[in-house]
Amino acid sequence: VPAETKSGAKRAAARKRIEEKRAAEAAARARAERRRRTVIGSVVAAVLVVVAIVAVIVVQSSRNSTNPNALVPANTADSGNVIVVGSATAPVTVDMYEDFQCPNCKAFEDTNATTLASLVAAGTVQLHYHGMAFLDTSANDKYSTRALNAAAAVVAQAGPTAFQAFHDLLYANQPAEGGSGLTDDQLVAYAQQAGASGEVVEQAIRDLSYGDWVKNVTDQASKDGVTGTPTVLVDGTKLTDLSNAGLTQAITAAQGG
Amino acid sequence: VPWLATAARLLLGVVFVVAGVLKLPDPAAAVRAVRAYRLLPEALVGPVAFGLPVVEIAVGLALLIGVFVRVAALVTALLLVVYIVGVGSAWARGLQIDCGCFGGGGQVAAADTAYPAEVLRDIGLLLVALALARWPRSRLALGGHPFPEKELSRAR
Repeated sequence: VPAETKSGAKRAAARKRIEEKRAAEAAARARAERRRRTVIGSVVAAVLVVVAIVAVIVVQSSRNSTNPNALVPANTADSGNVIVVGSATAPVTVDMYEDFQCPNCKAFEDTNATTLASLVAAGTVQLHYHGMAFLDTSANDKYSTRALNAAAAVVAQAGPTAFQAFHDLLYANQPAEGGSGLTDDQLVAYAQQAGASGEVVEQAIRDLSYGDWVKNVTDQASKDGVTGTPTVLVDGTKLTDLSNAGLTQAITAAQGG
Repeated sequence: VPWLATAARLLLGVVFVVAGVLKLPDPAAAVRAVRAYRLLPEALVGPVAFGLPVVEIAVGLALLIGVFVRVAALVTALLLVVYIVGVGSAWARGLQIDCGCFGGGGQVAAADTAYPAEVLRDIGLLLVALALARWPRSRLALGGHPFPEKELSRAR
């Protein structure tokens, strides 16, 4: 009996060892399988992310691309990017980057438009207007773009003097930010008041004919390093003090130098 | 700890998905926001402006559903370090820009810059991301090791 028990115990121990070994092997297989699945999952996820990145870059680039054949308004300078007001022999150049919807631009215009106009009239200053349109919202029905497009229609039809008048009218009547913007009818009326009337102007305003040009000049301003409005350069140097005294001082200094 | 990790995943996931999605509707604004930092050559501005939101959404989603949590947390931490450096350098160079973290971006008035708040927020998120990378196991996660279940069975 003891011998039988002994051998029985031995057999049970052996069976247990085998079972443990099998369990360990199964666990190892399960671990390997899990690892394999993780690797496959990681590779699939990485590929998906890369594909998504490439796809989005392509789609967004095409959405962001500007039309090289954009209709460029006549009576502009620098490949159509700049509207020049004032004498070519004026000693001081003032570059202005503005958005028609920007309240700080209106503040700058309210403070300095009269001074600049008299300096232009005196032949001291030549103004370079660089339009920007980045304050489009659905609430204002893309007013930034519509206003700059209208300004392009005005300069194309009637030249820089009419543009200046239209520009001043739009700032004097700037719609509140977050409001609904001026309507196309109002833009047409102001264009007429500024001296650009007729079917061509009206159609260009309503059809957004210079819409691609608006995108291009906005892009160009960003490439010029301008990241906000108003940005004012006096003979190429950025004006930090936008008060009337600051502007006058900078222009006087530029004139002296 | 598992529930804390879940909270960290949800916080980071929501922040990154929202930040990424908000950058998609206006590609021109995204480009301007990246350009405003004046750190990248023009050729890289587009790819970064358009690719970064995808990465943000991808890691955000991974964190939300709980797969590849450690990797996603590390990528999140890396992105946050890049953002902190970017915002910090804009601050140090005296640029007056909005970080463009949640869309928008570009120049703002001097009074409207929010560098300290932006940097503090990113550092806070960075700490959360690093903690999550150290202890990635959490409840309500689709992937990862069956740590919570084991604990559950032991509790039973």
